[in-house]
Amino acid sequence: MAINKILCACGSGLGSSLMVHMNTEEVLKKLGRPDIEVDHSTISDINPEAADLFVVGGDLADFVTNVPDEKKIVLKNILDKDELEAKLREHLG
Amino acid sequence: MNAMQEMLKRENVQLVDSCEGWQDAIRVAVQPLVDGGYVKPEYIDGVIENARKFGPYFVLAPDLALIHARPEQGVIKRQLAVTVLRRGVEFKAGEPCRLLVTLAAEDPNSHIDVMRVLATMFANPDSVERVCNAKTADEVYDLFVNPPKV
Repeated sequence: MAINKILCACGSGLGSSLMVHMNTEEVLKKLGRPDIEVDHSTISDINPEAADLFVVGGDLADFVTNVPDEKKIVLKNILDKDELEAKLREHLG
Repeated sequence: MNAMQEMLKRENVQLVDSCEGWQDAIRVAVQPLVDGGYVKPEYIDGVIENARKFGPYFVLAPDLALIHARPEQGVIKRQLAVTVLRRGVEFKAGEPCRLLVTLAAEDPNSHIDVMRVLATMFANPDSVERVCNAKTADEVYDLFVNPPKV
């Protein structure tokens, strides 16, 4: 499925999700996909229709069970850009 | 004035020996922002409530926690505080955390410049280690305001 929008989420929608948002934009630029829209929000706002791909930290994996695996990236280390890049590559194909 | 100088005041940086568990650590870490009038006292309860609800998602990396709640949970004006605990606190069992960065944000975006500085700084685990081993609060403040080029 084409990915046009990525939503990064955390418990309060302004701390770690913002950091992941910034890292995601940077990695997308590197991968030649700056056209993809990125945003950040709280985990409670997540519904599977809100974006094409969701990025969350491992501690919040239990809160996104309503999102199918192919539509989410769960990060072990949310500050690790290499992990993010590897996982984004998988999803972007 | 750079983004960090605007968001972090020297008086909001502290070195603390130890805390009585994670809730006490959150109280200690938020208190400078209460004293300075940047957040209402109930912001502390907000952070604890969110941690109970969502778990320790605010532990960003080993030894590093970003203590925060939502703007409507008691933020008056955006600001940061930094607490270094000599003896780390366990938000996750077996993973003591020594560096607590407290964030008061007014909305989801207006603190983006300072978050960029923090993200760059903390992408390197050595920076966390350097801050945790600083000898004085002045030194900690300096590492944030003038982060050494990696």
